[in-house]
Amino acid sequence: MYGRRASQLLRELASCEDGQLTVFNNDIFEQVIRECNEHNLQLQSLIRKIEDANLDIQTTRNADHFGAVIHHLSLSRNKRCLMGYIYNRAELIQSLRWKIGPVLPQEIQEKLSYSEEEYFKNHSTALESYISDLDLDLTVDMVPPKDPYIRVKVLDDIGEVCLGDHAISLIQHSLHFIRRTDAEPFISQGLMEEFIE
Amino acid sequence: MVKPSNDAVIGLGAAIQRVKEMESPGRSGVRGQSEEEEAMAAMDVASDVVLLKKVWRNEKAAPEVLHFEAGLIQRAREQIQLLEETVEELIEIRSDDIVVSLYQMDLDRALFLLRSYLRIRLQKIEKHMLHIYRTHLWNRLSEQEQRFAKRCLDIMEGHLERSVLSRLPYGYQSMLKQSISSEEDDMVPQTQLDTFIFCKAKEQYWSFPVG
Repeated sequence: MYGRRASQLLRELASCEDGQLTVFNNDIFEQVIRECNEHNLQLQSLIRKIEDANLDIQTTRNADHFGAVIHHLSLSRNKRCLMGYIYNRAELIQSLRWKIGPVLPQEIQEKLSYSEEEYFKNHSTALESYISDLDLDLTVDMVPPKDPYIRVKVLDDIGEVCLGDHAISLIQHSLHFIRRTDAEPFISQGLMEEFIE
Repeated sequence: MVKPSNDAVIGLGAAIQRVKEMESPGRSGVRGQSEEEEAMAAMDVASDVVLLKKVWRNEKAAPEVLHFEAGLIQRAREQIQLLEETVEELIEIRSDDIVVSLYQMDLDRALFLLRSYLRIRLQKIEKHMLHIYRTHLWNRLSEQEQRFAKRCLDIMEGHLERSVLSRLPYGYQSMLKQSISSEEDDMVPQTQLDTFIFCKAKEQYWSFPVG
């Protein structure tokens, strides 16, 4: 059936948990692209057939015309699905910039197509230049603050870090009571977590 | 659909700004002012914070991007800077910890509001940049936001071009139209306006048609 493969792509998006990214389905994507070109060949040959029979392309309503319409509509539908697939994934990918930061972990990068990797990098740079334009970091402070200080547990050796006017050494498993704004970048990188007794 | 009244907010903001200009000329200029002036500055912070909260809430509740509150944001940033300096001073003179942490908390909350407001706007812009770029919504963005949106748009266009459009047959390669035979641009994702939103009545309405 025409258009079934393309809808598979979208079903894949829809069945995914919110905010979760699946591996770019290159296999089906390529098949749909091929299908599109196939539709176009059929469409062109039907149009040529109408023209060869010396019929007016605008007014003819024969089997060839309706065949051509079917191919045209299938092609448009496939295009909508492909664009929807890429566009929705791009939205997800740009939201990663807010959630994870400018560098994606290996396991997420593996899920992206080449163009998507480029997209993430470019979009990330655009956001960074907006932030430096503004001179106000927007990627911290994601939840409303309750207390200026929080207790954190260090998950991975970070080493000596300068916070405010004094240096502290962040060793794995150590507990600290530091400013929330200082802790946030480490937390989003997964190097620290809030310590709740 | 009920839309939060944005004009009222702007109007109020301008009015308060005018009052402030009358009351305290050159407020942000000299430091180390008298206690009275300091108290006044503190009141200004409160009123602008209230305004910021309102603007933030409107932006959060509205499906469309609203007018950028340039004046208010400018003032909020100045006041935040003032507050930051106050906190630093308090730390320097070794003021009571509880006082410092109260100021710090106040500062953190104001900063959160400001960041969150700008963030919500960015996320709306990211989501509907093409639609915003092509409609009157474009004028609602700040200059910096426009630069950001334009750049994002170019990046998105490049990505769609590379991944899909350049690989489709001739006649189907437009980002805006489904095919060459589409009469209007029928591939621009738009803001869904026919949706539920939260709103708060400012005045009493005896009867209000819904649905």
